[in-house]
This record gives sequence, structure tokens and C-alpha cells, in this order.
Amino acid sequence: MTRPAPSIAGNTPHILTTYREALGSGFDECMSADGTVRPHWQPLLDSLDDLPFAERTDRARRMDRRVRETGIAYDIFADPNKLSQRWQLDLVPIVFSGEEWQALERALVQRARLCDALLADIYSDQKLLRLGLIPPELVFSDPAYLRPCQNILPAAGPLQFYAADLARADDGQWRVIDTHTETNAGIGFALANRVVHTHVAGDLFKSCNGVRLAAHFQTLQATLTTHSGRENARIALLTPGPHHEDYFSHAYLARYLGYLLVEGNDLRTKGSQIYLKTLEGLKDIDLIVRCVDGRSIDPLELDPAGFDGPAGLLRMCRKSPRLVVNAPGSALAQNRGLGGYLPQLCEHLLGEPLLLADAPRTWLGEASGQSHVRDNLDGFVIRKAQEGTGRPGRAALGQDTRALSPDDRHDLEREISLHGARLVAEEKIGFSTAPVFTPNGLQPRPFAVRLFVSRTHDGYQLMPGGLAMSVDPDRAVALTAPDGHTRDVWVLSDAEQAPHVSLWRPTLETARVQRSQRVIQSRVADDLFWLGRYSERADWTMRVVRSALRRVEEDGGPATGRRAARKCLEMLLAKDKGFKPAGAAALDDAEIERLCQHLISGKKGLRTLDRTFSGLYRVANLARDRLSLEAWQTLSKFRPGDSWMTTLANATPVAVLDLLDEGLASVSAFNGLMHENMTRNFGWSFLDMGRRLERAYNLSEAISTLFVPVTGPEEESSSLMLLLELADSFITYRSRYRLDPMLALVLDLLLLDEANPRSLAYQLIAISQHMQTLPDAKQGVSLPEDRRLILALLTSTRLTDVEAIASDTDRTLLAKLMDEHLDGLPDLSNALSRHYFNLMDDVPHRVQTRSEPLTRSETKP
Amino acid sequence: MILDVSHKTLYRYSASVVHSQHLIHMSPRLTPGQTVRHHSLLIEPAPAARITGEDAFGNPIVTIEIEVPHKELVLHARSTVETSKATSVDFATTTAWDKFDHVPTAEMLRNDLDALQYRCVSRLTTPSLEIADYAAQSFTPGRPVLEGALELTQRIYDDFTFDATATDISTPITEVFKARRGVCQDFAHLSLACLRAMRIPSRYMSGYILTFPPPGQTKLQGTDASHAWISVWSPETGFVGFDPTNGIVAADEHVVIAHGRDYDDVSPISGVLIGGGEHTVSVGVDVTPVP
Repeated sequence: MTRPAPSIAGNTPHILTTYREALGSGFDECMSADGTVRPHWQPLLDSLDDLPFAERTDRARRMDRRVRETGIAYDIFADPNKLSQRWQLDLVPIVFSGEEWQALERALVQRARLCDALLADIYSDQKLLRLGLIPPELVFSDPAYLRPCQNILPAAGPLQFYAADLARADDGQWRVIDTHTETNAGIGFALANRVVHTHVAGDLFKSCNGVRLAAHFQTLQATLTTHSGRENARIALLTPGPHHEDYFSHAYLARYLGYLLVEGNDLRTKGSQIYLKTLEGLKDIDLIVRCVDGRSIDPLELDPAGFDGPAGLLRMCRKSPRLVVNAPGSALAQNRGLGGYLPQLCEHLLGEPLLLADAPRTWLGEASGQSHVRDNLDGFVIRKAQEGTGRPGRAALGQDTRALSPDDRHDLEREISLHGARLVAEEKIGFSTAPVFTPNGLQPRPFAVRLFVSRTHDGYQLMPGGLAMSVDPDRAVALTAPDGHTRDVWVLSDAEQAPHVSLWRPTLETARVQRSQRVIQSRVADDLFWLGRYSERADWTMRVVRSALRRVEEDGGPATGRRAARKCLEMLLAKDKGFKPAGAAALDDAEIERLCQHLISGKKGLRTLDRTFSGLYRVANLARDRLSLEAWQTLSKFRPGDSWMTTLANATPVAVLDLLDEGLASVSAFNGLMHENMTRNFGWSFLDMGRRLERAYNLSEAISTLFVPVTGPEEESSSLMLLLELADSFITYRSRYRLDPMLALVLDLLLLDEANPRSLAYQLIAISQHMQTLPDAKQGVSLPEDRRLILALLTSTRLTDVEAIASDTDRTLLAKLMDEHLDGLPDLSNALSRHYFNLMDDVPHRVQTRSEPLTRSETKP
Repeated sequence: MILDVSHKTLYRYSASVVHSQHLIHMSPRLTPGQTVRHHSLLIEPAPAARITGEDAFGNPIVTIEIEVPHKELVLHARSTVETSKATSVDFATTTAWDKFDHVPTAEMLRNDLDALQYRCVSRLTTPSLEIADYAAQSFTPGRPVLEGALELTQRIYDDFTFDATATDISTPITEVFKARRGVCQDFAHLSLACLRAMRIPSRYMSGYILTFPPPGQTKLQGTDASHAWISVWSPETGFVGFDPTNGIVAADEHVVIAHGRDYDDVSPISGVLIGGGEHTVSVGVDVTPVP
């Protein structure tokens, strides 16, 4: 035996000192069996080695933070404390040499062509089944085979997006361990990972001469535009909505490509056309990038419970098969049972040998497969042939047959003979390892990788990157990432990288992107309107609680100040059933603390902070593709279960004051970011109208509560102070009058002063101005109700005589004015909803009749 | 036999339906034993669009879209069909059920690919192990397939009680099997689950049956109903109808509207509505022999 030759490229980097000892017997990506570093890893390892230790750990930390801030989580509504929900991105990517990548690209492009040809056959004349090249029952038993989609064949082919999960087996060969043909399978996650990674370690990427992703997506954009058949196409990404685990990926991709993100209910079929419901009425849609399961895209013809697409979509597809990509029904090609048949199919359909094999799996729909597995049951994992989900890292685990009791084994055998057509048996193949970053240097960990193929003008193209995930090799031959640990995928290039890829972008593309963003779905307008209302409500309620607690905690204030604050708190809780304010005899201090506690954490109240924050977070999520990353980040503390929220609920009154200051700062940061960054389109109008309407209402309510009926001069003075504080107008008042607050002057400032952004008149004018810019879809002879209401409110405010109101000792005038607003503003909100959000147009639902009973007495004897 | 069929469905909605689309299976299909002499479908209010066509199983369908707000919808199908008894088949001469090997022969693939899809389980016909055991009793080794099918049909007729209140449209067959109660649709699905557990091609049939009043009474208007039964395949005969609700072989008293893998494929009226609130539905069916 001779000693292995030392690495040609130089010494083993320090960062790998302990790596070799930790290596197992399997294949390692970065180090060959003799301990030499594979050449294509050398540049990365050298660059890492050059970084000081502290810098490396700091970068790993920044990566973590960036991932959190970007929001690359699976499920935003899931329990945030569950560890498995976390998404981590390693500092160390998986590196591919250009040469190896080219081989993979050839193999995966061939795979995509194969799946495309297979689908085109199954959804037309099914020659492959007639010739016995695919067992018919494999297809017919697959719930992903959508019979009503028969003959929906886009001229370009059914498959626009293809993805494969790959693992390198112990023998050093790559194997396809899963195929995804339903949707683009989480490509947005891979994109987001790259963006985050570049942000923290772009210098490493550059020094390794990695291939950028942008060109791939630009080609994709151009291809989809051509595919849609129109130069200024309106293209939409169809998502199941924010509750879906991959929503992040959908939203990220839509924003990156400049496409609209729509849900089923945003679309509507009418006659032979499909439309998008927008504020300006129905608009044409030219192409739908489908990110929902094929079987739930049309409740009329497919899964009756599937409302992820509009009823009648399949009819549109028959008329125009290119409307939806991937074509509905495409998930059939990802059936795991097909693996064993692919070599013959490839020869038959493409006339080529299959370049890359599947991990060995046996379809259990045939007697021969069943008996083979029955005889060797201990060596297999039994899994569903069709999983349907493209969720990265969440492949279901199969049933491991090794640990079965004799009874379970018997049941499994029967299950196989009964439902074998929907099952496969798989053998373990092993996973190769690659380095991950740890504070103690790099350590080898097994992984699998998802690679993405898209159709372009020049045929299929492999995205030069991917999504690698650390897997537990004992669990399944699939992309299961139990701890959410992911890695970027780099492809090294020998060629010089084009520095300004973005220059390739044709100018027409840019124009299209800008225009499509002006279109606002009615649903999004509704969400933004409520986002405005909730953010203002949160701001106001926090101010009321803060003012009240300040009056309790700060000694020396007058008792009348506490009484006024208590009135405001009681007002906010007034409509809550089951909440009883203490009698007048209760001490103000204790009662204020009790009321504040209830307003903060009461679960049932209509206007408690708990409820307002969760409403705010929810609608912000719904409108998330319209928010900038920064704006989104400011709201993170309002996420249900966030530590800020739990601390607030349990804090002492003094601590609450500090926490509320933080909360108020976040809301105003959010408002500021929206104000500065949001395009002044209809979406902005609805956001701002929501905020103005809420503010006008809260102000009217506070004035009414504090000054009707009339109180003593001491108390009135305290009430005026409180009102100025709540309306954040104390400084304005002081600088203008240098007097103690007087009712007439305060009312002038807060009701009539059209220059004061906190006044009632200012809010109404702002709303009125927004309404004038809105499209008026329902033009008629008379003024629409919403226009009439705002005109009435604004007029009555402008006609108000504050002198008269202030000197009116029984406050009838003030009460009348405030009541007009307290009635009129909710009416206005409802009228806007009716006018623009199509409340009549509620969620579609399906009706069916069942076969009516037939009684036996009536039948033939 | 010549039969007149009148099938009237009335939907009443508590709130206006703003927009609706319906997929309708109410027109009889042509079969070897059935010709359609006349058919009309009246829809009120008048649809903005009405498309006649065929579904993926070759059943006639009508797709409609209604754009006027409405609180009532009437669909009235009238058909005159001529049915004939199939030439009598000796079930004992049909292929043994266990000859349908797991791997279909080249001949079967060439000629009968379509039949193979009907031996795969579907959403509403997935057998449990218990159902498979129940089915196996009728299919002893070597037994001719239609002989076994007839026995199974009769066993279900004997073992199960017709009970319109026991199940609803969402009751799974595993519960029907436990409760031993249900309606024609349940028995059809259960029979299909049994046959498909034995890997025998079998279809869900939707249509009507001519009924007779109890002795001494006259038949009342509108007392008939939609009906569901099954058909079972053998290489010798093609698909032959069996009616587990009545324990009989389907003959010229059955009028076929559509066939499919299960109810999902052939539901008489499925609609997606916007608006409408709560709805009630009343159905009147009359099947009358024409002398």
C-alpha cells in the first residue's frame, strides 16, 4: 500500500481539520476516499479558510437572521414554537463542477422531455398503455390521473416545469429519488435561499465564479410571455392562498417575475373567457402559472371540494389548452411506480437510452412485484406511489417493514394485495455527505437536492442552482428535512460571468411588469383596507392604554385625569358582552389597571389589543405580496405567540408602558414605510382610507365619551389634556395657543382644522379625495351611496360652529355632530365594501343532489 | 319497451344567486340496449350560455351558465327511450373471475383498455379489508365472473336494508357496510368496491327504473326517482347491468343516463354558485311505459 497522494490544489484547509475523521463509509462530495479535497471544492474552502473565525460564525448568524426576516418559513400560521417549522440556511453550499453539472443537465432535460411525451400520450390516445409499456392500472389507479383532462393538450407540451430530487447513492452515482411534475415545486425557496446567501456571502460566490440564477428566470419570463400568445400578457400565479405551506415560495416567485399572485376566487369564468376580478371590473388573463393541485382547479368538473381555481376553468383549457401551465393532470408523471418502466419508455418515446435511473422502486400493482416484496419484506419501505405534494423537505415517510410484528406484517401483506396499485416498495440507496458549517469547523452531513427544469424557447433548461436539504438517511429515500436545514447549490463555471445580466431584459418586459402591478384584485383592496384599519386601531388602543397607565403610575396627576382615562377605557370595552365595568365606587387606580389588563390580553373583546394585533398580522399576511420586506419586518412583534406579545400580557403596569412605547414605534415605523414606499395606486387608496376611517371614528368616539354630557371645569380640563394626548396634538396646540386647553380651541384643532393631520376634517377630506380617484364601476344617474355618505359627513363637519358647540351647556349640538359620525362612518365602511369588494360575490360553493330514495314497496314484486 | 321519463328538479335559494354554472347529466345515453327517440331539457331562468357535449366517458352533458340573479332554478328533462332486453346470456359460460390476471393480456390491452379503468378503485369505491372479505365469499376459485356478480348483487339485496334516513351524500361505504343500511347509490358504490377488490371491471350506472305501485293502488305522479345501479364486465358479454337495490339483473326497465367510475363522474346536476344562501331542492321523476 502506498500513501495517498497529497492534494494537488494545496494543503487541506484548516477548516477541514476534523472533517476527515467524521467521514463515514459513503460517498463524500468534497473529499475523496483518500482524503484529498475534490478540486471544485477547493476555491470555496480556501475562501472560507481565509475568513477569520469570528467572521465565519458572525456570517452564519447573519444568515440565520436574514432567513427569519425574509420569512422563508413553511407555514406562517403554524405554531412558531415548533422546531420543525424552522428553516435554516447553511453558510456552506453544495458545489458542483461545471462538468458534472452538464451531465446532470443532459440527464434531467431528457427526463423532462420524457415526462412531457408520456403525459402527451396518456392524455391523448394512450398508445403507451395499449402497447403494455406502462401498466394501465398504474395510471388508472392514480388519483392524479384526471380523466376529464383527456385531450387538453397544449401545443408546446403539457410540462412547463419539471423538478427532480436527487441523491448520490453509495456507489457514487446520482439517482432520481422523486419527480415533481405537478407545479414548479418550491422553486421560490431556492431563489430566496440564493438571495439570502448572496446577501451574506456574495463575495464567496463571486470568488468561486458561481453561475447566477437571473438569466434563467429572464429566459423563463420571455418564454412564458411567448407562450401566453400576447406581448403585453397579463400573467398570474395561481396559489391556494396564505394558509398553504408553500405560499412563501409562490409569493416570492410572483414578485420576482413581476406576475400577479391570485387565488381561485380572484378569477372568474364567463362565457368562453377567463377574467381577473379587479377594482376596475373584470380584466383578461392570458396565462396562469398553476401552483395548486390539478384536481382542485375546477370544482365543477374535478374534485367537488376543490376551490383553488374558478369553476369552469377546465372548459377554458379545452378551448385554449395553453392557458394553464403545467397543464392540469400533469402530476401523473411523478408517480413513483413509473421508475422501473422509464428505461423502456425512454427508448420508445425518445429513441435514447435513459441517462439517469430512478432509485430502485417496485410498483406493487402486479402479482410479480407483490410476491417479490412479500418474500423479502424486511428489505423494503412501503410508500404511496403518488404523493401529490411538491413541498420541499416534507415528503411523507413510508412504512418501514423491518420492525413489523407478525400481525402488522399480515395486515400489510393484505393491504398490498388490495391496494398495491397505489403503492411502491423502495430499497435504501444511501446518501452522500457534504460539509455543513459548525462552530467547530466543517462536518459531513447527508443531503439530497432538488433541481429545477423549465421549458424555454430552446427546449428545457436546468436552473443553475437548486435546493439542497439535510436528510435523515434512515427515514426514507426522499427529500425529508426533519430539521429544516437547507443549503444553497452552486454551479461553478470556467467561463467569465456576464456582469450585467439585467441588461438583457427587453424593454417591453419591463413595461409589462409595471402595468400589471397597477391591477388590484378586489380581494387585495379589501385586505389593504383592513390593514389600514387594524394598524390605526392598534395605534389608538395602545395610546389609550398608555395614557391611562401613565396617569396611574405617575404621581401627582389630578384625580380627574384618571377619571377621564377610565372613561375612555370603558368606552373601548363597552360593546363587549360579558365584560362588566366596576361600579363608580371602585377606586380609579385599581379599576384602570384591571381595564388595561383586559384590553391588552382579553381574548373575547372586540377591540382588545390581542384581537387587534392578530387581525393586523393576519391581514398583513394576506396582503403580504404588496408589502416591502422592511414593512413586513416591523410587524413581526404582532405575530401571535411572539415573545413581545406574551411579555406584554404578563408584564407589570410599569413594564407595560415601556412595551407599549415599542409597539407604538413599530406601528408608526410600519405606517411610515408604507407612506414612503407604496406606489400611489388603488391599493394605497384603500390602505389609507382604512386608516383615515378608523382614526375619524376613534376620535369622534373619544370626543363624545369625554365631553357628553357636560362635566365640571376640573374634569373638562383633564379630559382636554387627555384628548390632545391621544390625538397626538398636544404640541401643536401648545405652540399655537400657549394656553391651557379650552374646549372651543381644542375642538377647532381636532374637528375642523383641515391642516391638522389628526383632525376629523383632515381624515374626511383624505377619504373623499381617495374616492374621487377610484374607478366607478357602477355608474348611474344618482350619486353612489359611498359618495353620498362622505359628502354628508364632510359637509356637516365643515358647517360646524365650534363657538356655538362649546358654549352649548347641555352639549346637544356636540352630541348630534358626533352621533352623525359614529353612525355615518360605519355606514361608509360598509358602502365601500359593497361597492368595491363584491361582498355579494362571496365564496362560490357547490350543490349536488343525490339519487333520490327508491322504496322497495314500489318496485317490481 | 318504450318509456317516457320526466325528471324535474327545482332549487329554491334563500338569497339571490348572482351567478351559477352547472354541469348536467340528465340526457339519456345511447347504449346497445337503448335508443333515444326524443329528449328535451328546459331550464328556467334561461342560461346565458348553454353548451351541449360529451364528458370523458361519452355521456351526454349540458353545461350552463346563468347570469341573471335568481332565487329559483328549474331543470326539466323529458325523454322518450326505447329499451330492449339483452339477448339472454348464460352467466355460467363467462370467464372465471380469477382469470383476469394482474397483467392484462396483449389482446385485452388492444381491445378492452377502456374496461381496465373500471377495475381501479376510485374516491367513493375504495374497499376496506372487511369489504374485500365480504366480496370474496361470492368469488370462489374458478367461478364465472357474472355468476359471482349476480350472487353478490343478491347478497347485498338480502343483507342490506333500504333506508333513506340512514345515510347522506357524504356517508362513506365503510359506514354503509357497518350499518347495513343505505340507498341505491350506497349499494351501487358498495358493490363496486367489492368487485374492484376482486379486480373485476365494473361501472357505476345512473338513470331511472320503471316502478310499479303496491298491489291495489294506482301509481302517483312524481313518485319515481333517479336510480343507481352497476354493470359488470366479462370478455364474452361486455358490461351487463346488475341492480343490487332490487337484487336483479338490469333489463329493459332501467333507463341509462350515464356511466362512470362512481357518482362523482355522473352526478345529475352539479353546480357552483355565487350567492344563494341556503337551498332546498325538490325532485319529481315519472317513468311511464308508452303502450
